[in-house]
Amino acid sequence: MDTSSRRTFLAVCLGGLGSIATAAVAWPLFRYLSPRSGSGTSGKVVIPDAEVREGEAKFFEYAGSSAVLIRKRGGELIALSAVCTHLGCIVQWEKDKQDFLCPCHGGHYSADGAVTAGPPPKPLIKLPFTVFGGNITVG
Amino acid sequence: MTLIKSVIDWIDVRVGIREIAEKELTGYLLPRNINAWYSMGSILLFAFALQVVTGMLLLIYYVPDAEKAFKSVTAIMNDVPYGWLIRMLHAVGSNMMVLVLLLHMISVLFMGSYKKPRELNWVTGFILLSMIQGISLTGYLLPWSQLSFWATTVATNSANAIPVLGPYLVEFLRGSPLVGPPTLGRFFALHVAVIPAGIAAMIAAHLFFLKRTGVSTPPFGQQDTLNQWRGESYTHENHPGGIPFFPDFALEDLRSIAIYMAIFLAVVFFDPYLFFPKDAFIPANAFVTPAHIKPEWYFLANYQTLKIFPNELIGLSLQGAAMTFLALLPFIDRGRERHPLKRPLFMICSVGGLLLWIGLSIWGHLS
Repeated sequence: MDTSSRRTFLAVCLGGLGSIATAAVAWPLFRYLSPRSGSGTSGKVVIPDAEVREGEAKFFEYAGSSAVLIRKRGGELIALSAVCTHLGCIVQWEKDKQDFLCPCHGGHYSADGAVTAGPPPKPLIKLPFTVFGGNITVG
Repeated sequence: MTLIKSVIDWIDVRVGIREIAEKELTGYLLPRNINAWYSMGSILLFAFALQVVTGMLLLIYYVPDAEKAFKSVTAIMNDVPYGWLIRMLHAVGSNMMVLVLLLHMISVLFMGSYKKPRELNWVTGFILLSMIQGISLTGYLLPWSQLSFWATTVATNSANAIPVLGPYLVEFLRGSPLVGPPTLGRFFALHVAVIPAGIAAMIAAHLFFLKRTGVSTPPFGQQDTLNQWRGESYTHENHPGGIPFFPDFALEDLRSIAIYMAIFLAVVFFDPYLFFPKDAFIPANAFVTPAHIKPEWYFLANYQTLKIFPNELIGLSLQGAAMTFLALLPFIDRGRERHPLKRPLFMICSVGGLLLWIGLSIWGHLS
């Protein structure tokens, strides 16, 4: 075996060992820093029916984010994500106008979550819910 | 390879990187009889860097609040993926770093490297030792376990022995009359910001003095082992015909670091709780003092000294005197001889001192 091929062989071996060592350090580090699955609140959220009055909104934490329940005038219930679809701010309920305002960039949504004005590209995400035995279960 | 060479060329024409590499790496010559003990500093630098990195990672999940600290550490150990590994590397690493630091100090002592003109290297090294002890002591409290709480209570309480100022000093250290949430805040700030900044600055000074004075020649395998420096003017100790730092001694350093890592990781993986008594797994309770609370192994001799003397002030003064003597050693031991076997008084004192320290530590452990 001449010197150059011996050097190449050693370089390959060292490179291989170095790669294994790097992976052995990088993988635990990546796992340590990765967001943990289920770190946010997940599953269902139960809210007493009486807490959501007509024409009002009830904000709550859902799946690690913010959500809102609205009872429209007339009694219809709607569950929406409270995260603005523009840049992720939390929308505010305007009781007098019966709509949502995003205070960050002036986005407007109707009580159903549809965009009525401003920069939001999409409506607010609708959330599934059921009403049973005086409780509203979201999720 | 061509791409790497092009990048190096690009940098070289701008900042003359090849000239620096020639001067500081390949052209930086070390004594031919240099030995593995000279790698202890490199191991310490590596160990400190590892402590900094693992410490930063722990900060992501650790909560410095007396109500939440123990829970957050438990979560790091049990819930966060590889959290146990990061924490064990940090906790075991601190013990290993103290051990290597002591070995570094012993090698400097026996090879007479502390003698003039290297007094400043010794003094900065000694300050580093004190700061490492300080960072270990403050870090000990952070998990907010029974061990943390009561070991800190005992350690801070020893300042009480200082006449007049003692009680005020204890309260100042703790931030309250007893160890409590204010103590955690203070120790956390000292552990993650104040002391690390001090250590970094002192490492920089230590390396600066090393570079300016030059590496000392080991006294072994030489006819003339007398210190050649006469003190007339500044001279850099050169080693013509010596071995280059890079690649020769850098590989020696790498080998020493690999051996250190093998021992360190063996403890982390096979005996991770070697340095953890059972009180380290119980949350702090200010109303229940556990029996036989003891400090870390490197404080056992201090602990035992305080126990031997009925008067705490005498025990504390003796420790202070011993530490001051050690800190000022290059100014006290002014002989020109560097070979340990040609310095019988030094050998008797240093070996005796070392055995006394080990003996007190074992006594402290068993008592």
